[in-house]
Amino acid sequence: MNINKTRFWPTIYLIVVFILLYAPIFYLIFYSFNAGKYMHDFAGFSLRHYRQLFNDARMMEIVFNTFIVALLSSLIATIIGTLGAIGIYGTKNRVMRNVILSLNNVLMVSPDVIIGASFLIFFTMLGIGLGFGSVLMSHIAFSIPIVVLMVLPKLNEMNYSLLDAAQDLGANSWQVLTRVVLPYITSGIFAGFFMAFTYSLDDFAVTFFVTGNGFSTLSVEIYSRARQGVSLEINALSTLMFLISLILVVGYFMIDSYNSGRKAKKGKLSA
Amino acid sequence: MNKKLFYFIPYTLWLVLFVGAPIILMLLQSFMSIDGQATLANYQIFFGSGTYLRMMFNSVWYAFLITVITLVISFPTALFLNTLRHKDLWLLLIILPTWINLLLKTYAFIGILGHNGSINSFLQFMGFAPQQLLFSNASFLLVAAYIEIPFMILPIFNALAEIDNSLINASYDLGASKWQTLRHVILPLSADGIRAGIQAVFIPSLSLFMITRLIGGNRVITLGTAIEEHFLVTQNWGMGSTIGVVLIIAMIITMFVTRERKKGGNKY
Amino acid sequence: MKQPIIEFKNVVKSYGETQVLKGVDLEIEAGKFYTLLGPSGSGKTTILRLVAGFSSATSGDILFEGKRINDVPANKRRVNTVFQNYALFPNMNVFENVAFGMNLKGTSKAKIKTKVTQLLAMVRLAGYENRNIDELSGGQQQRVAIARALANDPEILLLDEPLSALDYKLRKEMQYELRELQKNLGITFIFVTHDQEEALAMSDWIFVMNEGKILQNGTPVDIYDEPINRFVAEFIGESNIVNGVMLEDYLVSFAGSTFENVDAGMRPNEQVDVVLRPEDLDLTTPENGKLVVTIDAQLFRGDYYEISAHDDNGNEWRIQATNSAQINTRQGLTFDPEDIHIMRFNESEDDFDARLDNYEEVGEMDE
Repeated sequence: MNINKTRFWPTIYLIVVFILLYAPIFYLIFYSFNAGKYMHDFAGFSLRHYRQLFNDARMMEIVFNTFIVALLSSLIATIIGTLGAIGIYGTKNRVMRNVILSLNNVLMVSPDVIIGASFLIFFTMLGIGLGFGSVLMSHIAFSIPIVVLMVLPKLNEMNYSLLDAAQDLGANSWQVLTRVVLPYITSGIFAGFFMAFTYSLDDFAVTFFVTGNGFSTLSVEIYSRARQGVSLEINALSTLMFLISLILVVGYFMIDSYNSGRKAKKGKLSA
Repeated sequence: MNKKLFYFIPYTLWLVLFVGAPIILMLLQSFMSIDGQATLANYQIFFGSGTYLRMMFNSVWYAFLITVITLVISFPTALFLNTLRHKDLWLLLIILPTWINLLLKTYAFIGILGHNGSINSFLQFMGFAPQQLLFSNASFLLVAAYIEIPFMILPIFNALAEIDNSLINASYDLGASKWQTLRHVILPLSADGIRAGIQAVFIPSLSLFMITRLIGGNRVITLGTAIEEHFLVTQNWGMGSTIGVVLIIAMIITMFVTRERKKGGNKY
Repeated sequence: MKQPIIEFKNVVKSYGETQVLKGVDLEIEAGKFYTLLGPSGSGKTTILRLVAGFSSATSGDILFEGKRINDVPANKRRVNTVFQNYALFPNMNVFENVAFGMNLKGTSKAKIKTKVTQLLAMVRLAGYENRNIDELSGGQQQRVAIARALANDPEILLLDEPLSALDYKLRKEMQYELRELQKNLGITFIFVTHDQEEALAMSDWIFVMNEGKILQNGTPVDIYDEPINRFVAEFIGESNIVNGVMLEDYLVSFAGSTFENVDAGMRPNEQVDVVLRPEDLDLTTPENGKLVVTIDAQLFRGDYYEISAHDDNGNEWRIQATNSAQINTRQGLTFDPEDIHIMRFNESEDDFDARLDNYEEVGEMDE
């Protein structure tokens, strides 16, 4: 029906939304190449802020810290979360299962400030010093439910008779886990790991509460620098972070489409 | 059987230590004065003084505004996105900005809205005097809405994508116009997505504190800002925890109001 | 001649490179039960969507009572659809679904109530007003969908394979009910199906489609008895199709013998396909048979035996017989001249009709 007429305004609307969504990001990137010192009055192309960034030893250490925390926390959260998801899958009692699922989601829906503040009380109570350890533990803690939510649907779509079949064919429970269950849910585990990794990279509020004086992550550092005013070094950093995000997204979707592609192929073969 | 428990040990430890314990500790802390005595004073102060109630009202009001703004922008976006040919790719482009560090996006607005930033240059170019844009309520709303929009679009998009196309055809077939179809068929069928979007935007908006500081310039005090203030600046953890408990209750109310409503009996 | 209610003039529908309708002409008269019959991908649902207004023709004209309606949107057409998956609104109950169209038009509450009650009674769902859609069985959902479509008083009801999701028994039952409903209402039904049995049982008129074209249209009896080509013969009912030669008018040779028949109007010695329906063949003794065959196998089908056999020239024959036959015995095969149906290669429907008219007139004059 009159596609040309009815498509015009929606298209304009979508274009405006996309421009608004991306304008701030490209604004940042654009000024990272400014030869001048401010995020206005472009004075010519220069890479000086990138040079400055790479010579900033403190910043480089913080970038390193941030990635170590992200990597370690998402790895550990993936292991614990996957085991947890398998446990939930095996819980046959409906009430019990729903209780665990609700508890699992508490940290997903809680505002960051609550998580940060309550963790701060918790660490102080236990006498755990604030720093790398507390930040890592917090990141593991808020990543675990994400992994569970990514892995559980994969488990649920797995036919239960697969497990019976494996046992019927003589597999012990360890073999059932490693030969049947884990291969089946691999894509969910990877998705969970990626999500946990980005959540960790992105987190500001929780880290802000539980990081001490000696340890900092990128978000916290940008916050304290931004409060002192604009520094184009941060623009240079955001450009690099944007590129990393892009690579992560592309990587994630390659894994995703590889998995679904493989599934489609398998489906064809069996049909 | 024992093996099953073994899988569960680390996860259960996490549930107890990082889900249960911190919330309980916070609840206990809210009944403690600044020097460690058990007291109800924090709650008396919160509900007795105009300052805190006004702050809570403010916080809810701003979260409400942010939610409305994002909803108004997001619903048509999700609707139109669903009619595009490569809609999954376009959706990916909507999600992509959420993968970029929140702080960096906020920081960008410091440049855009600043005294010498692009918007003011544009105003000057048009012949107006530069405005104080940063550190205003409007700029806070703008940036918060910007940050939250993808989280509103995503659930609505998914709900719309699930609607069987033949239902929309059926509506036209029975004589409904586009608006009538939108009102009587599409809106009710995407209601769960809209509720999920409201949840995903309203709750975090109650507790924003970074944007209030960097963009709002402390003019907007939310529950989140107050908690941060009490925990990290004045060190009055008891009062901070009390506000935290209020925030948790507000969150539970929000979730209850926007819970999924299943029509009809159970399907099992 | 009566003004057709729907008319297609050289209608083409393409999606990108692929043409799903390749220049379709058709005429539909008011008040009859029409069926579009064809395998999936033949274009029958496309025709339905064009009539309903869910998609628009790439070229050609679609007329409603003589007026071009290509650009009239679906919500302005006096045509309603019963969807394949019923497309009942899950957010509304049975009453609200049926009342949907009337509510939009602003019909008064009292009128709506009367009409819904009446419609639900008609589809035998009285008392189901407040049920939710997911509480209904497939057959009940089907009836609600019909009631909802009829609530708008359409001139034409379109039915897109509405019976395909029902089980065998319910399907049979609904065939009777739909036919009954159409007769009582007196409006036009256009029914889409890939099930030839369904089409033959219900329709006044059938359009047989394949690969975006209408191959043949006619009454069920015509199409069954006089299929225009191999595709139609095989798609509708079971057929024995063998190669033959039309020696002269009313004389055909196949399977090594020459037979009298009732077809004419072809070139002498023209190569043709010869069709014989299994139920028109009878077994007899070899000496009384027009052909002699050897019995290969037989299956008991309840009301008849289905027997397969071959003749001495290697042609396969399928026979429906009331009595069983001995495997590996030789039997005679008999049939009447009018049971032999001749199909020319690549004959268009118009030529086919013209030839039929022509020699039937000649035949009548002879008498």
